This record gives sequence, C-alpha cells and structure tokens, in this order.
Amino acid sequence: MDDDDPSPAVKRLLGAHMPTAGGLANSLYAGKEIGCTAVQLFTSSPRQWQHTPLSDETIAGFKQAKSKTGIAFTCAHDSYLINLAAYDNTVLERSQRAFLGELQRAHELEIPWVVTHMGAYLDMTLEAGQQKLISSLKRLLEETSDLTAGIALETTAGQGTGLGYRFDQIAEVLEGVGPHPRLGVCLDTCHVFVAGYDIRTPEGFDQVIQEFDKTIGLHRLMVIHANDAKKSLGSRVDRHEHIGEGEIGVEAFSLLVNDPRLLSIPIILETPDADKMHAVNLAKLQRLAAAATMGMHIHVRLFGHYSESDQNDQELAVPSGLSVQKLTDILAERDPNLRDMASICRVAINEEYASLDTTLKEGDVVAFVPPMSGG
Amino acid sequence: MSKITREPIDVIELSSRVEMETNGAVVSFVGQVRNHSRGQDVIGLEYEGYEEMAEKVMERIADEATSRWPVQVAMQHRLGKMQVGEVTVAIAVGSPHRDEAFEACRFCIEAIKSEVPIWKKEFGSDGSYWIEGENRTPIRLQSESVEGNDVPAVP
Ligand SMILES: [Zn+2]
Ligand SMILES: [Zn+2]
Repeated sequence: MDDDDPSPAVKRLLGAHMPTAGGLANSLYAGKEIGCTAVQLFTSSPRQWQHTPLSDETIAGFKQAKSKTGIAFTCAHDSYLINLAAYDNTVLERSQRAFLGELQRAHELEIPWVVTHMGAYLDMTLEAGQQKLISSLKRLLEETSDLTAGIALETTAGQGTGLGYRFDQIAEVLEGVGPHPRLGVCLDTCHVFVAGYDIRTPEGFDQVIQEFDKTIGLHRLMVIHANDAKKSLGSRVDRHEHIGEGEIGVEAFSLLVNDPRLLSIPIILETPDADKMHAVNLAKLQRLAAAATMGMHIHVRLFGHYSESDQNDQELAVPSGLSVQKLTDILAERDPNLRDMASICRVAINEEYASLDTTLKEGDVVAFVPPMSGG
Repeated sequence: MSKITREPIDVIELSSRVEMETNGAVVSFVGQVRNHSRGQDVIGLEYEGYEEMAEKVMERIADEATSRWPVQVAMQHRLGKMQVGEVTVAIAVGSPHRDEAFEACRFCIEAIKSEVPIWKKEFGSDGSYWIEGENRTPIRLQSESVEGNDVPAVP
C-alpha cells in the first residue's frame, strides 16, 4: 500500500466490480492499477451452473495478489442464475447447491461476503417467495457453519417479481432467518432509487439512510454498490449508469462517500464499460470524497449595513456538510458585528431564497439579505 | 421587461411597453425620492442591490402577476445615487380592465418592497443611514462619489 498519502482516521474503501479474465487474481491487480482499495468479483462464471472447485494454485495466487496489492476489502457476487426463492424444487435445489459453492469458494479465497440478489417469486405470492428465501438462507447458513464467508442480501430494483426492493421486505427476511453474524445486507444506489427511494437531495438521502437504519439496521450493512441509474425514480427498471450521468446525479454520490454513518462501509462500482470507465468513475468518487476531507469553498456576500464587514465578498474554506446556520456562527466569530445576522437576515443560496438549515455545497454563493428597502 | 438600471428611468417609455389595442387601461406606479424620512430632511439617497438576484426576483414577480391577472407588466428599479424628486422605481401594468390593472400594480410594488434585494442609504440633515425594513443603522464607511462609480473610502 502507498504510505505517502495523508490518510484520514478512517480510510474510505472505494473500488469496483473487476473482471477476472485470465484468473481471479487479475481482478485485484487490475483493481489496484486503477486505484481500488476494495474489489468485487465473480468467483465463477455468472451465467453457468457448472463450476469446478478452485485449484490450490488459484487460491494461493489470489491470496498473494491480495497482499501484494493491499486491497483491503473483497466481496464476491453470486451467479445470476441462482434463485434462492425458487418455487420449482429442481431450480431451488440447484440454486442452493450453487450458492453453497459460492460460499465455499469465498471461504477458500478469504472473501468475507457473497452478495446475492434475493430471488424472484415468479408464480407464487410475494409472501410465499419470501418464505422460500428464508428457508433457503437458514439451510445455507446451517450447512456452512464451519465457513467464514457470509451472505449479503442486496437491495433490489424490484424488476418483475424480484424480492427485496423495499427495506421492510428485507427486514422481514432477516427477521425470518433470525440474527446471524454471517447474514448482512448490500445497498445498491441504483436499485434503491429505481425502487422509489429518492436519494438525490441531502434531505432525501438522509431520510433513506435513516429508514434503512430503522428497518434493517446500519450494523447489517456490509457493502454498498455505487451506480447511477438510467431509469427514473420508482421505475423499478435496473439499468446502471456512470456516476453523475444518470437520473440520480452527482450530489447523491457526494453525500454517499461523505456520510459519516457510512464511512466504514466499502463502496463498489458496478457501472457499465468496466474496462474503459471504471477508472473514470472511481476517480470521480475519489474526488468527491477528497473534496470533503479538504473541506469546500463557498462565497459569502453580505448586504445592507453588514456589507461594511470585512467578511463581505470573500471565498471561504469551510468543512463539508456545513449548514447555513453553522456558517453564521463562523462569521459571527470572525466579526462580532455579524452576531445578529442569522436572526435578522434572509438567506439566499445561488440567488434563491433558502432556509437556515440548508446544507451548503462546494461553490455555493451564500448571501445574507437584511430586510429590504427598495421601491 | 423587468430590469435594474443605473440610468434615469423613462416612465413614458416604460408605459408604452404595455400599451396594446386590447388594453382599456394602463396603470403606472412611480416611486420617487422624497425630501424627508422619519423626521429628518433627506438630501439624497443611494440604492444598492444584490443585482444578479434582484433582476431574477423582479422577473418572477412579473410572471406571478401575469399568471394571476390578464395583464402585461413592465418594471424598472434604479440603483445608485439619486436626488430628491428622481424616480427610483416604476411599474406599468396594461390590462383590458382597470380593476385588474390596479390590483396587479399594487401586488407588484408590494412584492418589490418585500422580496427584491435592494437597500437604501439615506443622506440627511442628521446623518447617513442604512435603511433595512424598519431599522436604521448609521453608515460607517462613507463612499466617495467618483463619476458613475462608488469606491469605498478606507475607514
Ligand atoms: Zn448491485
Ligand atoms: Zn443492478
């Protein structure tokens, strides 16, 4: 690992789902190359039931790659074919067996979590599908009690009869299985957004995380998938888009990488065009995170008699996530004449009236507008 | 049709902008500098504004008026130094009927006073003040008048 970067107390782990062409270890080397500190991978072909056990060579090579690259977090994504809520017993049996393989391989590779979509209930009712899923999970956890790898249920987009697109559905499944140290959750930003959770504004984002915490519990959150969405809020159509270029927009990702509640949760990109674009999307997330550790710049404008203060018309470096209210405290500290400003003035951010508890963003122009006397 | 200007306002020209053949009425409001304020003689005054925002807000007020009433609206607010009797603000409202024109005009001037970020500095017999709503605060930094341009003096 590079020791020359000035690390904050908690190092935010950022990375991507990396291709395994040429061997599992290559996902880590390629990840390291573009600056990943976390990597997700398929431990076998995601479109085949068939899988051969890992060779000792593969396992050793992967472990070596881990220590060479210093990639601190890895997780596996399960095969797309697996449906742990399947009604058809043949499919269910196959899915469970395939998932046992997923857990076995992850264990051998020392990958702590296998992320899985929660399955689809197809012709059954949602409740019946959920019951199937619960018994699958119980069985899997029981039969793998000697393994270290856990199961992370991913919030889904709610396409078709997909389970787990509402937090309370996931909470019901977790409750059905019962608390288990090897059962966690993965939050996918694209999925929750198209499922109807609006994370585009600071208020919305905060509310969604609060709801997640209330229903599922943030202590269950093991990994986050960062994907923008091609489709709109509530569309329940799962199409990933590059960070900041979809319906969600860049602000949500700035909030994501800087939310103190999520600081210890690894973030993984699953955006399109991995070969060319993962580096670009990762750099974007890194910039958003760095902008926060270094604080942000805002422009302060004062009017009326307050404009006589030396604090007027200045570029100010402030901590990220600062509210207007907190900014008035900072200004009052710098010039006692501005102490009553918060109670007397209206606030305008980028020339629009706003409230005192608005959270400021990089580049905002904040104006304090005393009672007017035009006309 | 809404703007901030540093030039004298041409009231006649402004009214002409809302004159249409379907209009039965044009109501104008013209605000001007008076020679007294809160018991002191006023010699002159100066308007300062948050110009980038003020024009946007005026635009929005005009839009609001035209959406509420069947009217056309034009308005201007002047900034800078002005003498007693000079026009500070002018609003012209054209409408098929006078009731709507009066109502809309009244709405516009009240909204300008409460929403458009513009402030008055009064220079009078007992001193110079910032006027902010009902509050009067003595001006600490006197601005020197340079032709068409105000440069704050060093305190
Ligand atoms: Zn995902
Ligand atoms: Zn997806």
